[in-house]
Amino acid sequence: MSDTGVTSSWTGEGVRLADVDRAIAQLRAGTASEGGQPSLRTSVMTHMAWVPEDWQQAARSALSGMAERHPSRTILLFPDPNAGSDGIDATVALECFAVPGVDREICSEVIELRLRGPRAKAPASVVEPLLISDLPVFLRWRGEPPWGTPELDQLVGVTDRLIVDSTEWDDLPHPYRHLAGFFDRVAASDIAWARTSRWRALLSTLWPDVAQVGTVRVTGTAAQAWLIVGWLRSRLGRDDIELEHVDAQRLEGIDLDGRPAPFPPGDPPIPSDVLSDELDRFSRDPVYEAAVLASVE
Amino acid sequence: MPALYSLGFRQLLPSRFAVIGVARTEGTDDSWREDMKQAVQQHARDEFRQDVWDALAANMHYLSADFSDEHGADQLEQLVVSCDKDCELLGNRVYYLAVPPPAFPEIVEALGKRRSATGWTRLIVEKPFGHDLASAKELNKMLWEHFDESEIFRIDHYLGKETVQNMLALRFANGVFEPIWNRQFIDHVQITVAESIGIEGRAGYYENAGAIRDIFQNHLLQLLALTAMEPPIDFKADSVHSEKVKVLKALHTPGPKSVVRGQYGRGYVEGESVPGYREEQGVAPDSMTETFVAAKLYVDNWRWADTPFYVRMGKRLARRETTIAIQFKRAPHPPFEETAAEGLRPNVLLVHVQPDEGVSLAIGAKVPGQGMTIRTVHMDFLYGGAFRTGMPEAYERLILDTMLGDGTLFTRADEVEEQWLLVDAIVAAWQRDRPAFPNYAAGTWGPPSSEELLHRDGRSWRRH
Repeated sequence: MSDTGVTSSWTGEGVRLADVDRAIAQLRAGTASEGGQPSLRTSVMTHMAWVPEDWQQAARSALSGMAERHPSRTILLFPDPNAGSDGIDATVALECFAVPGVDREICSEVIELRLRGPRAKAPASVVEPLLISDLPVFLRWRGEPPWGTPELDQLVGVTDRLIVDSTEWDDLPHPYRHLAGFFDRVAASDIAWARTSRWRALLSTLWPDVAQVGTVRVTGTAAQAWLIVGWLRSRLGRDDIELEHVDAQRLEGIDLDGRPAPFPPGDPPIPSDVLSDELDRFSRDPVYEAAVLASVE
Repeated sequence: MPALYSLGFRQLLPSRFAVIGVARTEGTDDSWREDMKQAVQQHARDEFRQDVWDALAANMHYLSADFSDEHGADQLEQLVVSCDKDCELLGNRVYYLAVPPPAFPEIVEALGKRRSATGWTRLIVEKPFGHDLASAKELNKMLWEHFDESEIFRIDHYLGKETVQNMLALRFANGVFEPIWNRQFIDHVQITVAESIGIEGRAGYYENAGAIRDIFQNHLLQLLALTAMEPPIDFKADSVHSEKVKVLKALHTPGPKSVVRGQYGRGYVEGESVPGYREEQGVAPDSMTETFVAAKLYVDNWRWADTPFYVRMGKRLARRETTIAIQFKRAPHPPFEETAAEGLRPNVLLVHVQPDEGVSLAIGAKVPGQGMTIRTVHMDFLYGGAFRTGMPEAYERLILDTMLGDGTLFTRADEVEEQWLLVDAIVAAWQRDRPAFPNYAAGTWGPPSSEELLHRDGRSWRRH
C-alpha cells in the first residue's frame, strides 16, 4: 500500500444530510482520471466519534494513518449545544491511497459534523442516515461519557462497539460503575486497558508467586492502576488486593508487595495503533468486563 | 416536465411534438410555460439550455378546463386537433392522467368518446389505482369500455428506476445467481422502503391511503414480484407481466400476527424535532391511519416454499432507503474456531434501489496477519462509480416507453387486482383491532412489534 494520501474535501454550513451524501458521491466521482473509473470504496466499518471541543485535536491525531489500515466511513461528531443557533455544519473529505500494481485507489470517507444547538441532543438521528448498511459501527467516545444522558443512550443504541479511554476520566474508579451498566447493551473497549496488555502478559509469567500478592503499586495513570488491580482481583478471585497508585503520564512500573516487576519488552504502542487494534475486535471482552467490575468492589 | 426536458436534452423526443397542460386552474400558455421553465430549472437533472427549452416550449399550450361538462372536453379536443394539424402528429396521442380518483371516470369517458380516428392513443394512469379490489376492478372495467389494455399504461415510477430494472439484469444476465436463487440457498429476503420525510402536506390523500395503499400495494409488491419471479421467456411486456402475476397469485395471505402496523409520534430526524402524524396539518387528532407496515409473506411455489419475505415500509423512519436484501444460508460447517469468525455475518446480496444505487455482496474474508480471523467485507458495485453516464430519472424512461408503446415497465390489470386482493385481506383483519397509536417515534425504525416479527423466527432486520 502506498503511503501517499490524496485528500479532496467539501464544506457546507446549515446543511441537510442529503447534501452530505451528494458531496460524498461527487468527491468520489471526482477521483476518476479522464476516461477511468472512480476510486474503490472498500469500507469495513462505520467509525463514529463523539468529540467534545476539548478533544478535537486529539481525535484528529488519533485518526491519522487509520484510513489506510481500516478503510471506513468515519463520522466525527462535534457537539456544540451552546452555539446559539440550530443547524449542522459539515466537512467531507476523501482520503485515497494508491493500490500497488493496479491503476486504482481505495478511499475512505471522513465526515465532520458540527451539531449546533438542539441538534446535539439527538445525535443518533443525525448519524443513522450516514451509516453504511450492514457494516459494524464503532463509537469512540472522547472524554468521560455523560452518563445517563439521551445523547449517549441514543448513540450506544446504534453502535456495535463502544470504545472509551478511561485515562480521560476523572474520579476513578467510580465512573467504571456507570460503564459496567452498558456491558449488556454493547461490547466495550477501553484504550487504557489496551495499554496495559504488555504488563498483563508480563505479570502472567510470574505465576504462581503473583497469586499471593497483597499490595500492588502502579506508577501510571489512574485508569491503568485501577484496571491492573481489578484484573488481578478478578483473575485471582480475591477482593483483598490493595492498590497504591503513583500518578504518571504512562505506565512506568508495577511493584508487587514492594518488589518491582520486570519491565516488559518493546515500546508502548502509539495511539493510532491502539485504536486500530480495538477496531479489529467485535465481541464482548469478558476479562475486561470482570476487571472493571472488580476495580470498584 | 423535467423528465420531458431531459428527453429533449438527449434528443430522444420526436421532432414533431406538442405538450398540452390541462387543469381547472386559470392560466395562459405563457404563464404555464413560465411555471414549467422554473420547474425544469429547479428539478431537471441536466443543465438548463435555452435552445433545448425553446424547442420544447414552442409547442406547449395550456387549457383551463373542467371535465364535469362536455364543454371542457370539447375545448381540449379542439386544441388537440389543432396541435395535431399544426405539428403533423398523425393523430398520435399520449394522455397522462395525474388526477384524483373521483375525477377519473368522467375524464376517461370524455377522452374515450373523442379518440383520434388515426394514429395511436395511449393513456398513462398514475397511482392510486383504486382504493380496494372492488374499486380497482370497477376502474379497469371503465377503462376497457374506451381503451384496449395495450393502450393503458398504469405507471409505478419504481419500475422506471435503473436499479429496479437492474434486478432483472442481475438475475437473468448472470449465470452465477439464478442457480442459487431459491429456497435451497436463500434463508430469507428483506425488502425495505423507508422514507425519512413525513406526509409533506398531503394529509387529504394520506389519511385515506395510509402506508399500505401508498407504498405496499404498489411499489413494494412490485419489488417483491421482480425478486421472486421466474425467468420470463423474453423481455416483452406480456411475458414479464405474466411471470409477475404468478408470484402475486402465489403470495400467501398472512395471518394477523404476520402483519404489523404503526403510526409515528414525535421524534427527531437529522437532529431536528418533528411532529407526530396526528399533529400534522389536516390529520385527525385521533387518526388511526398507519404510517408503517411490516409483514412476513410467503410465496407458495416450488422455488420459494417456506422462505419468508420480510417487508417493511414507512414514513419518518431513521433514513431514506429502499433496498432488497437476499440473505443466504450460512455455510453448513465453517471449520474455524468460534472466536475466529465472530465478525462474520451471513452472505447478503444487497440491491440498493436508492440512494447509493448499486449492488453489494457481503462475503467473509481473512483479516491479513497472523492466525485465522475472518471478517465480513463488502464487494460493492456502485452505479455512480461503474458507469460514467448520469442515471436517468424514472419518469424519463417511462414516458419514453409509453411513446414507444412498450408496456414492460408498467403494471397490467391483473397484477393490480392481485395486489389489491392481498391488501384487502390485510385491511380486513385490521378492522378487528385498534392498536395504541402512535407506537413509534419519528426517526426510528418503526414499532417494537416490527422487530418482534423477525425475532420470533430467530432473525432480525438488517442493520442500516
